[in-house]
Amino acid sequence: MNNNAILVEDLVYWYGDLLAVDHINFSVGNGEIMGFLGPNGAGKTTTVKMLTGQLRPKGGRAVLLGYDVAKHTAEVQSRIGVCFEHTNLYEVMSALDNLSLFSDLFNVTDFDGYALLKRVGLSGREKDRVSGYSKGMKQRLMVARSIVNHPQILFMDEPTSGLDPVSSEAIRNLILEERERGATVFLTTHDMWEADKLCDRVAFMNEGRIVALDTPRSLKQKYGKRSIIAEIASGDGQLNREEIALDEEGTSHAVQKLFGSGKVLSIHSEEATLEDIFIQLTGRRLSV
Amino acid sequence: MKPRTIKALLKKDMALFIGNRFYLFITILGLVVYALVYFIMPSELDERLSLAMYAPVVPPAFEQLAVGGIDVEYFESEDSLRDSVISGEFDVGVALPPDIMDIWAEGGKPGITVFYASTAAPEITETTTLLIKELSYLQTGQALHFDAKTEILGPDLLGEQITLRDRMRPMLVILILLTEIMTLAGLIAAEIQKGTARALLVTPMRTSDLFLAKGILGVGMAMAQAALFMAIVGGFGYQPLIILTTLFVGSIFVVGTGFLIASIVRDVNAVTGWGLLVLILFAIPGIGAVIPGLLAEWAKVIPSYYLVDTINKVANYGVGWAGIASNLGIMSGITLIIVIGGLLALRRRFQ
Repeated sequence: MNNNAILVEDLVYWYGDLLAVDHINFSVGNGEIMGFLGPNGAGKTTTVKMLTGQLRPKGGRAVLLGYDVAKHTAEVQSRIGVCFEHTNLYEVMSALDNLSLFSDLFNVTDFDGYALLKRVGLSGREKDRVSGYSKGMKQRLMVARSIVNHPQILFMDEPTSGLDPVSSEAIRNLILEERERGATVFLTTHDMWEADKLCDRVAFMNEGRIVALDTPRSLKQKYGKRSIIAEIASGDGQLNREEIALDEEGTSHAVQKLFGSGKVLSIHSEEATLEDIFIQLTGRRLSV
Repeated sequence: MKPRTIKALLKKDMALFIGNRFYLFITILGLVVYALVYFIMPSELDERLSLAMYAPVVPPAFEQLAVGGIDVEYFESEDSLRDSVISGEFDVGVALPPDIMDIWAEGGKPGITVFYASTAAPEITETTTLLIKELSYLQTGQALHFDAKTEILGPDLLGEQITLRDRMRPMLVILILLTEIMTLAGLIAAEIQKGTARALLVTPMRTSDLFLAKGILGVGMAMAQAALFMAIVGGFGYQPLIILTTLFVGSIFVVGTGFLIASIVRDVNAVTGWGLLVLILFAIPGIGAVIPGLLAEWAKVIPSYYLVDTINKVANYGVGWAGIASNLGIMSGITLIIVIGGLLALRRRFQ
């Protein structure tokens, strides 16, 4: 037994001639939040499907909590929670009935639907039909459903996509709470800011391969270019912008010269984003 | 298989069924309408024959028609007789030649023309022909110029005429069963289309649990409605156990067909199209029970033929186990094949 909640070895999957997942390897530690980033068609969803037992790998293996997913699917599925990107709730049923159904399927013995719905901010609407919920409320119910069995690993696919800031923040807080409880979180997202804020490590996936995997900070240090941008008043009343790269030989001299001019109006630091790094590594944008 | 899982899935499926107004509507409406259709059909046999006749000279033997339970209306010309048949006023018209008595007196054969409406039932045409031959014999005292040999094939139903409503009963109960194909296939297709099936398949529940729950729901819904209909229309008069067994096999057949349709459709709308096609095809044998002799032998390739035939024989003629054993055997075999095919196709669809 090791400390890995997820261990992926040489995982492969293809659809016909299309190699969707190309011999990927990674591990996720217990209690870690792992961000899985990549554009549409990069192989993220196929990977998640293999990890959650929806697809049988064509090669390699995925071990979750010590169980090979392909061989012990039920054991794995009883210990994980999955929050899908697209709402797939039973809309003619109430929120409480939705959660009650899944608590039965997971054989949960201490199910408290009211408490769970309170956690996601749906108190007072427990017995309403889900069809009457807003998009944000449905997404929060999706999150509640994914944690109904107190999962040891929580898979979240674009959990805040298209949501208002309040709902997004509520879901991010819940992810952090789950991590506090001890759960491992596998987060698939396009939102670089969210990944940066929540994830302990992020993996960039492109064309079926993992092209980078590290902490956001390390990735920025490794691939990013830090700089400061100053706004300087020119003599004719115009504003000029000057960028000075940090971590270079002449940086100290350039900064002294800038402040020596006495014309600096404002100054702020610039840091490479995960999006910038992804583009640098793959030549593609994440959001396409 | 865990009882708690199956119970939870059944509860969910019932909620989805009740929550879907269309399926609820067609289920209740179907039951009510089919029962109404049964009760508005004639409950008694009309055994009187109406006959249009053109006879410039009425042979004495033919005058006995009126006292023999036949309504005869005389027309003044052959043309007006033809018109009455063409307009549908009469199913049969008989035109006698003006010199019929002279021809008979000379020992000749008069030409008697009989007009049948295109909608006349085969029984009526046969009865009328026999009637005229009999009257000719009565009038002339001469034997017919052919030997008649009668052989009865199948159960002798002489004297066991069935009312139209009872002849419709097998078709109506089959339609009730078949409607559930659309309901079941629609529920499954909706689960796939809306992605709820995916949410279920990442739980410890097995695919077989899901299919079992759907199967129990489908059999339960189809069986309950069909049995209720048969109880309302007095279909359990003979051999209720055979009727229930047949309905049970029919309900499983419905589930298998529902699985097959759900596995090939892309969305819920397509279910209606495929469902109607299957419903029309499988309802054809029912027409054979309403109008005996109408269907050709090829109708036996339609699986539902064996259901209809069994219900018809048992509910209308009181045939026992021995008389329907082969039907039930064939139907059970077909059902087994369809259920296995449906399960395999659906499993593939879910993956």
